Amino acid sequence: MRYLLRRIGFYLLAAWSALTLNFFLPRLMPGDPATALFARFRGRLGPEALEALRETFGLTDAPLISQYFTYLGSVLHGDFGISVAYFPTPVMDVIGTGLVWTLFLAGTAVVVSFTIGTLLGIGAAWWRHGVIDTWLTPVFALLGAFPYFWLAMVALYILGFTLGWFPLGHAYGDDLTPGLSFAFIADVLRHAALPIATVVLATLGGWLISMRNTMISVLGSDFVNLARAKGLPQSRVVLKYAARNALLPSITGFGMALGFVLGGSLLTEIVFSYPGQGYLLVQAVRNQDYPLMQGIFLVITLAVLGANLLVDVLYLWLDPRTRESTS
Amino acid sequence: MNEKLLSIRDLCVDYITDQGPVRAVDAVSLDIHRGEFIGIAGESGCGKSTMAQALMRILPPPAIVSRGEALFEGRDLFSLSEDELRELRWKCISLVFQSAMDALNPVLSVGEQITDTMLAHDAANAREARQRAVDLLEMVGIPGDRVDSFAHQLSGGMRQRVCIALAMALEPSLVILDEPTTALDVIVEHSILTEIRRLQRRLDFSTLFITHNLARMLQFSDRVAIFYAAKLVEIGPSAELRKAPKHPYTQGLLRSFPSVRGSTEELTSIPGSPPSLRTPPAGCRFHPRCGLAVDICRERSPELMLYGGDHSAACHLAT
Amino acid sequence: MSGSTAKSESGFSVWLTAIRRDRKAAAGTVIISFFILVAILGPLLVGDPKAPIGMPLQPPSAEHWLGTTGQGQDVFAQLVAGARTSLAIGFGVGLVVVAIGALIGIAAGYFGGRVDGLLSLLFNIFLVIPGLPLAIVIAAYLPTGPLTLGLVLVVTGWAWNARVIRAQTLTQRKRDFVAATIVSGESSFRIVACEILPTMTSLLVAQVIGSTVYAIGAQVGLEFLGLGDVSAVTWGTNLYWAQNDAALLTGAWWTFAPTGISLALVGFGLILLNSGFDEITNPRLQMEHAWRIHLKRRGHEPTRSTPVVIER
Repeated sequence: MRYLLRRIGFYLLAAWSALTLNFFLPRLMPGDPATALFARFRGRLGPEALEALRETFGLTDAPLISQYFTYLGSVLHGDFGISVAYFPTPVMDVIGTGLVWTLFLAGTAVVVSFTIGTLLGIGAAWWRHGVIDTWLTPVFALLGAFPYFWLAMVALYILGFTLGWFPLGHAYGDDLTPGLSFAFIADVLRHAALPIATVVLATLGGWLISMRNTMISVLGSDFVNLARAKGLPQSRVVLKYAARNALLPSITGFGMALGFVLGGSLLTEIVFSYPGQGYLLVQAVRNQDYPLMQGIFLVITLAVLGANLLVDVLYLWLDPRTRESTS
Repeated sequence: MNEKLLSIRDLCVDYITDQGPVRAVDAVSLDIHRGEFIGIAGESGCGKSTMAQALMRILPPPAIVSRGEALFEGRDLFSLSEDELRELRWKCISLVFQSAMDALNPVLSVGEQITDTMLAHDAANAREARQRAVDLLEMVGIPGDRVDSFAHQLSGGMRQRVCIALAMALEPSLVILDEPTTALDVIVEHSILTEIRRLQRRLDFSTLFITHNLARMLQFSDRVAIFYAAKLVEIGPSAELRKAPKHPYTQGLLRSFPSVRGSTEELTSIPGSPPSLRTPPAGCRFHPRCGLAVDICRERSPELMLYGGDHSAACHLAT
Repeated sequence: MSGSTAKSESGFSVWLTAIRRDRKAAAGTVIISFFILVAILGPLLVGDPKAPIGMPLQPPSAEHWLGTTGQGQDVFAQLVAGARTSLAIGFGVGLVVVAIGALIGIAAGYFGGRVDGLLSLLFNIFLVIPGLPLAIVIAAYLPTGPLTLGLVLVVTGWAWNARVIRAQTLTQRKRDFVAATIVSGESSFRIVACEILPTMTSLLVAQVIGSTVYAIGAQVGLEFLGLGDVSAVTWGTNLYWAQNDAALLTGAWWTFAPTGISLALVGFGLILLNSGFDEITNPRLQMEHAWRIHLKRRGHEPTRSTPVVIER
């Protein structure tokens, strides 16, 4: 339990760092962002808009410390300010619409990719110089060298545009109403297939190679050798002795890679016009909508921290050494 | 002496490296009889562990067995198929490694590691197997309720006892102990060795005990074999080796270990260090470090010769 | 895993050995050398990549080998010109990131205690905060250009190196010869510079290569979003414009395909270099090679159990 508490403490610290970073960034940058924004949107934003903007940044005349606490207070209440691009919608509402789709896309892709990659990695290590090791590993490594969003472009072009097998964008067809109907779910899956497949293909190589290398290392350890000496069947030696242990560093790596994969997933969303955070990000950048950008940053960071915590819980379950202190 | 359990003849084990094969075990012949406690002593890297693991054929690449045979109860271990090996392992020959912490799987309970080999070999059901595991632990002095503990929850001595209990699980005819007590303190070491001898008498198995501590081994073993630079250089009953060692290396080893009971003698160590196995010295491999070396020692490698009873040595100058 | 210090030879000589012995490292070197040549000499041989030279969205032809973009520019020229900036920024960031990572990682690993606790906390936080959103938030406030890009890439990329290098420093520090020099009273700086750093050269080289891969990829991602200088010609902005000009929906695959393939080749080439490295510095992966050949020559299948290959 102490392990979990320490991890939670760390994530709280990381979250606080992100919040504080968000607070200080506009204040550190050259120029006064609010005024600069106003200058940019000369005439397009009324005085109320400018006021709202100033408030979002907490740029009041109060001393820095109280500005900071006001800021923290609003964030904890879910108030991330007002979006510029979607004025006057609050940032939280703008983000809310897309969050589900991003979590669905990235979450599914990551789980599928990790599972398949890990299984293949075990196979590659066990059957050294076999089919998986010689062919699949380099193929997936090569696929991983392409930017995710480029693979998305290729997939969209060939499978969507040229062959017409998959829809060209969005999360579901315009003619369907969202709901738990079979038709709707099927349509969602059809629309999600290419984006998820893209992210899976791009990231599979990483998990495969990492698991393969860890497995090779573990297969050389004394306890695996002893397992063989005990006359245990191959399957048990590979799974319960080798893989079970090789999985541990793999899971640790999984947690660390989540943020990175999420980033790539966001870019993939853009190619497919998938209505998630990626699309919002582009709008935010294009319109220099700082409140929205910062809001997305915070939300995504919190999501990644939460996911990392889940991974830590999983690790706790898998590794008996973390469950209590050593004697 | 009892009947022969394991007969090793002219065994050679090589490590295939980029620069060619390195012979880690060179033409070793050795017999192990039923119920015997035989010790193997030598410096690090002299081939004793390699030979032991080669017998069970669990040496990882780049090792190969390049010559010889090992007749266990009449069957040549080196001509068995994978399936036959799997059946024979642990049931006939078992093994205890030096580091118990490394030998145990960190994610499985110690009980599970004992029962899984039982379930793999006999047709025992899970409940019986678990009960037997509990009995085994108690037999080596560990409370039965620790059967669900994990390796990291046990002390060093307890972990090693678990490994010993594990080795007894299928009541094998031969138990190989590869430096099982090197990582433990002297008191624990003594109690574990006494334990093993007691178990040996009770369960009637043979023990192949590998160590670098010759003095300790002479205390507990019936016979002792001395390895040097991949070769077997002397072998004989413990009492004789202690009183009248024939090989200069054995003599050197004895002089470098203090004896609690013996008179106060000056300790001397053997000068120099063991040779590289890639390019061993010509003639007798020990000659660069041997104070008694003469010309023939530098030219010809000595054969293992029998000097009365059961005592053999490979030295041109032995009588 | 890379970074084993089985040899404390200089990184460069290990690299040379790797190329000579291992096909992967050799292939990687060929690919990277090719692209470096293109980056250096290419722009001198093609025309102005931003000048419109024909009708927009023309497919590849004898005239324009890779066709034209949505603005009628030469795709081939843009590809060649883009190599220079993309590779330069990528490699530059790779070096800086490893330098910072080494500074912090070694300090943390060597000094231990509170210093380690603090520095580890610092890089762990940077590791867990997702890079792309952080990069966007920082870059958004700064003027567009290679410096901003570089800064943002460094801020989001240094933490991984710090972590890896710290781990290696800890291992080195525990070794006896380091303990001996510490006891002998040498200054920390000398110990680090003379005893610890030399053993890590292969690790550092591997890290630079890996970080370059990261930097190129992250750079392209940010430029794709429009955060780079969209008027500059880089591989990332090429893709930005391709997406902007609705390349996909108009079927103009030549506007994005060559850039992507080049990126993958460079990335893959660097990875090959590193994995070739890996095989050399990781003795475990090395060991089996000669053994397999020995068995094959005698008609033996590699078995799980120690093979018995009686020589005649």
